[in-house]
Amino acid sequence: MRIERRLAQPRWLMLVVPLLSLVVAFVVATVILLATHHPPLHSFRRLFDAAFLANGALTETVVSATPLAFTGLAAAVAFRMNLFNIGAEGQLYAGAITGATMGLLLGGAPSPVTIAVMILAGSAGGALLAAIPGVLRAFFSTNEIITSLMLNYVMALVIDYLIFDSHSYLRETKGFNASVFPQGKQLPDAATWSSWTIHGLVLPLGFLVAIGVAVGLWFLYSRTRFGFEVQVIGDSARAGRYAGMRTRRKILAVMLLSGAVAGLGGASQDGDFRHQLDPRGLTQANYGYTGIVVAALARYNPFAVVVVAFLLGGLQNAGYTLQGADFPNGLVGVLQGLILFCVLGGELFVRYRIRFERRPSTAAPATQ
Amino acid sequence: MGGEVGEASPPITPAMHSAVALRGITKRFPGVVANDHVDFEAAEGEVHALLGENGAGKTTLSNILTGLYRADEGEVVLFGEPREFHSPRDALDAGIAMVHQHFRLVSPFTVAENIVLGDHRDVGRSFLLHQRTIERRVAELSKRFGLALDPRARIWQLSLGEQQRVEIVKALYRDARILILDEPTAVLTPQEADALFETIRAMADDGRTVIFISHKLHEVKAVADRVTVLRRGRSVATVHAAEATRRSLAAMMVGREIELGRREDDGRRAGDPVLVLEHVSGDGDRGRAALADVSFALCAGEIVAIAGVAGNGQRELAETVAGMRRATSGSIRANGRLLQSGDPRHAIATRIAYVPEDRLGTGVAPGLSIASNLVLKSYRSPPASRGPLLLLGRIRELAQRLMHNHDVRATSPDVPARQLSGGNLQKVVLAREFSGEPSVVVAASPTRGLDVAAIETVHTYLRDAAAQGVGVLLISEDLDEIFALADRILVMYEGAIVGERDAATATAEELGLLMAGGEEHG
Amino acid sequence: MNNSLLVVVIAQGIAYGTPLLYAALGELLAERSGVLNLGVEGMMLVGAVMGFWAVQRFHVTSPLALVGAIAVAALAGAAMAAIHAFLVITLRANQIVSGLALTIFAGVAGLSSYLGNDLNLARSPARHQFQAIFPKSWQDINAVGPILFGQSALVYASWVCVVLVALYLTRTRVGLNLRAVGESPAAADAMGIDVAGYRYAHTLVGGAFAGIGGATFSLSITPQWLAGLTQGAGWIAIALVIFAFWRPTLCLVGAYFFGAFTYLPFALQKYSWAPPPELAQSLPYVMTVLALVLVSSRAARLRFGAPSALGQPYVREER
Repeated sequence: MRIERRLAQPRWLMLVVPLLSLVVAFVVATVILLATHHPPLHSFRRLFDAAFLANGALTETVVSATPLAFTGLAAAVAFRMNLFNIGAEGQLYAGAITGATMGLLLGGAPSPVTIAVMILAGSAGGALLAAIPGVLRAFFSTNEIITSLMLNYVMALVIDYLIFDSHSYLRETKGFNASVFPQGKQLPDAATWSSWTIHGLVLPLGFLVAIGVAVGLWFLYSRTRFGFEVQVIGDSARAGRYAGMRTRRKILAVMLLSGAVAGLGGASQDGDFRHQLDPRGLTQANYGYTGIVVAALARYNPFAVVVVAFLLGGLQNAGYTLQGADFPNGLVGVLQGLILFCVLGGELFVRYRIRFERRPSTAAPATQ
Repeated sequence: MGGEVGEASPPITPAMHSAVALRGITKRFPGVVANDHVDFEAAEGEVHALLGENGAGKTTLSNILTGLYRADEGEVVLFGEPREFHSPRDALDAGIAMVHQHFRLVSPFTVAENIVLGDHRDVGRSFLLHQRTIERRVAELSKRFGLALDPRARIWQLSLGEQQRVEIVKALYRDARILILDEPTAVLTPQEADALFETIRAMADDGRTVIFISHKLHEVKAVADRVTVLRRGRSVATVHAAEATRRSLAAMMVGREIELGRREDDGRRAGDPVLVLEHVSGDGDRGRAALADVSFALCAGEIVAIAGVAGNGQRELAETVAGMRRATSGSIRANGRLLQSGDPRHAIATRIAYVPEDRLGTGVAPGLSIASNLVLKSYRSPPASRGPLLLLGRIRELAQRLMHNHDVRATSPDVPARQLSGGNLQKVVLAREFSGEPSVVVAASPTRGLDVAAIETVHTYLRDAAAQGVGVLLISEDLDEIFALADRILVMYEGAIVGERDAATATAEELGLLMAGGEEHG
Repeated sequence: MNNSLLVVVIAQGIAYGTPLLYAALGELLAERSGVLNLGVEGMMLVGAVMGFWAVQRFHVTSPLALVGAIAVAALAGAAMAAIHAFLVITLRANQIVSGLALTIFAGVAGLSSYLGNDLNLARSPARHQFQAIFPKSWQDINAVGPILFGQSALVYASWVCVVLVALYLTRTRVGLNLRAVGESPAAADAMGIDVAGYRYAHTLVGGAFAGIGGATFSLSITPQWLAGLTQGAGWIAIALVIFAFWRPTLCLVGAYFFGAFTYLPFALQKYSWAPPPELAQSLPYVMTVLALVLVSSRAARLRFGAPSALGQPYVREER
């Protein structure tokens, strides 16, 4: 067997291979389900049902898809330049903190103003956190994978601290249960983001913003000088430097952009869905990590990110709905990982051709 | 055409035992047939040259012989036995070793560690490394063949000539009966090359077979017993070296008569200085000094060549002039303006074009389209962009025009640069660099790895540029190329300019001495 | 004296550093062969859950059950690593993305939780756990007692592993070949060394070490099974390899340093001047970032670099 690089990549392969990869992923998942004594077909049908078909399922799927679209876009923005920001998780928390703070501070302001400020504050919060790995990578060549990831744990602790272990501005201190069951302060009504209902499907503002961000990023990356520079540096940093591009500034800018998008996702959590700073809800959802899967499956294409976010959002939503004895927690992550593995492995078949050749039966040993 | 000059291959006389024979070897890569039914035979105790221009299939053939590649068709016969190699290990065990053109050495390792690497016979079978025993054996071997080496030195501390000795001792340590040397003189001064030839003779006299791969006619004449010529993946002829002339070999190699020798005086005269370096020093990648007080001037319409053995600061010099590397002291002026050190964008703005040694990776972004690569330096201004926006349609038009004018062969400007052949890729780089109307061109090893037609194209570009008043700084390790192009020759050794010669009167011998650091090394 | 803050933090730092040490040793072996495996966290978690499962199911004497559990954890870790190895060595996938995929697949929201929940392992204490092996009288020796003699067998075994890995890398032929594969696969290949074979072997062994590291949590430190009980230890282990400059002995020092920081918040709880626990708990993560910044200075990188071929697939037959 031999593996050769393809000179041209046929278009049909680009479609067939990802589809086949999906099939393989579900076959492997079937094996895992069988091995742990769960009926696979039944499980998959319930999964699909809970994700897309059941009453109100689509609305719930959009709820799950919205943060994934943001974190997916955040990952895609950075990964495009070979900048592995895996801190979207923490950047989303940061955005949720700053977003909620502004929402509370602007209690009496008109709703559009409050929402706009929350969006800005969320982006700024995420960008600020991403600036740490960004600066370290740009000016000290510190591996951004680990620094951005470490900050996820730090931010998870910070968000816990704000609500559970301090008398912060964000914590609800009045009321009967305040000291027994600590939770975030309820945001004022003006800080509730609008939503639209179309044929029973509720579209939150955040989801539309995410689509808008995807369009903006697509334009930025394919039609502007900045995007061109990102492409060149992502493909070969030396070529970028050769062409006189300011590599460090680009690294920092892309990190900030990536963090801002993730932070925006945090603000959308406050405004669209949770209406308070909700540490448990945020830290248990793994939006940031799933965003990496979304970005990788979408091959870092912003439009594809939105589509994949919707599909994986369905999976995630089904995971919540079905959680229980015959649908163990963790299955969703297993499925996501499997899909990603298969798509990654499948790329080989797009880039390379595999040739099988008869192996001569006479291995011609030297018999002296 | 080849038939006219190709003679019948001289048979091996009964006294000579065939050591290795390749019969009908064919090897295809996607898009190319690298070897097309090649026949080749070498005898014990023979130095057999494999002659051919770049891309003729010499390296592929030797990689098949050493088990790195597997032939699609044909057979390998070793000492009369047909053999099949599944891996380099099989070939090594059968007594075949190769000194690759780009050395296969582990640079943080010591000489001794490199030599015993992968050994799995007698002592080598022991689980533990016996550092002292190994060092002693290595010292013995290098002494026996006159290849002076310190077994404890680390590879990165050694000169390229010394590294080559390590490669040869490595082969001898594994008891190689057949040694393949791939372009071994490319990294040597002429004097070092002569010493290598003596080692080669000594090994042949010892009964070993040496396969000497080269595209240089005089070397082949000097060292080989017989010569097999490859052209476009086919074996054209095998002749006795003594009976062939350089001209007949050249004709077989290229398929037509080629020009040899120096550039003719075309009456072009140097103008005012366009690039002036004063006391420039700088560091290399490992933080050690790589440039030491370099001063020279390059004039408009002049081709100045920097000669030297690879790794003596030429790359750092080119990068410093192109702004990609910061000088630690000294100044560079281009067109009278002081260059900001370490700022490639300023160098571009000062109209310094740079054809880098590393085409794929520095010269172009391999994954991006030809069009993107053609505007790599001009995307900041009209017509490629307006304000922050790219004008994709204009870029495409521009790319199509450049591809047409510079004969870049590809189906469309959207093809990724990675898929282009070496010659086409270099044309993309040249098209881009010359479209910026440069006043200075820095060309670092611009013809490395190209075939003869592409080499001629590159040379034409450089000559035409000089004729139009551009100052050309040519960095090359190939003295033939330097003689064919340069007006003046500067020799670099350990980061310093150690001599300057007029190209019209310089000899290879005196340049060789300078490249080795002066008379005392000769 | 044995209750003084310093002695307790050092003794517990060693205990808490041990899973980091195992995982870092494993990652070091994989990286020395040129394979970057960012899936350490996932492999540790699967090791933790499978080790814990084994100890609950093996109805034999305590030492046997524990040894068996460690073996199961190692196998589980290696099995996870095999996925990564196949993807990046045979299928030449991007090592970073594949490693992240492994962490997502196996990690806190994936296989490890699936298995833990499905096998009903939560909320039950370990039936056997690793305990101090030296007599009480030894442990009571001033200062030295808790630090040197108060540890579990896993700690002493890890010391043996450090010595073995260090000797393996520097004093054996296979170790030499391994380093060559990570530095220059082309050179190794030309000398007849099976590059892919070495990479597979060491990635798998690396996974086994990570699995043992995970089991150290579930069988010794915690000792029970909780979803995501490693709390990012796998990532710290990856960072540890970087600032140990790919040397096993430095991994040991670094692991205990970070172990001490992990334990510090617990030790401080009883003092009135203690900072809020969340902030104290963030210390190991913050220290990791700081340490990384320190070692990424230019001088440090020039002197002891990463294996040159780290993260790059080796493909022979390509032009």
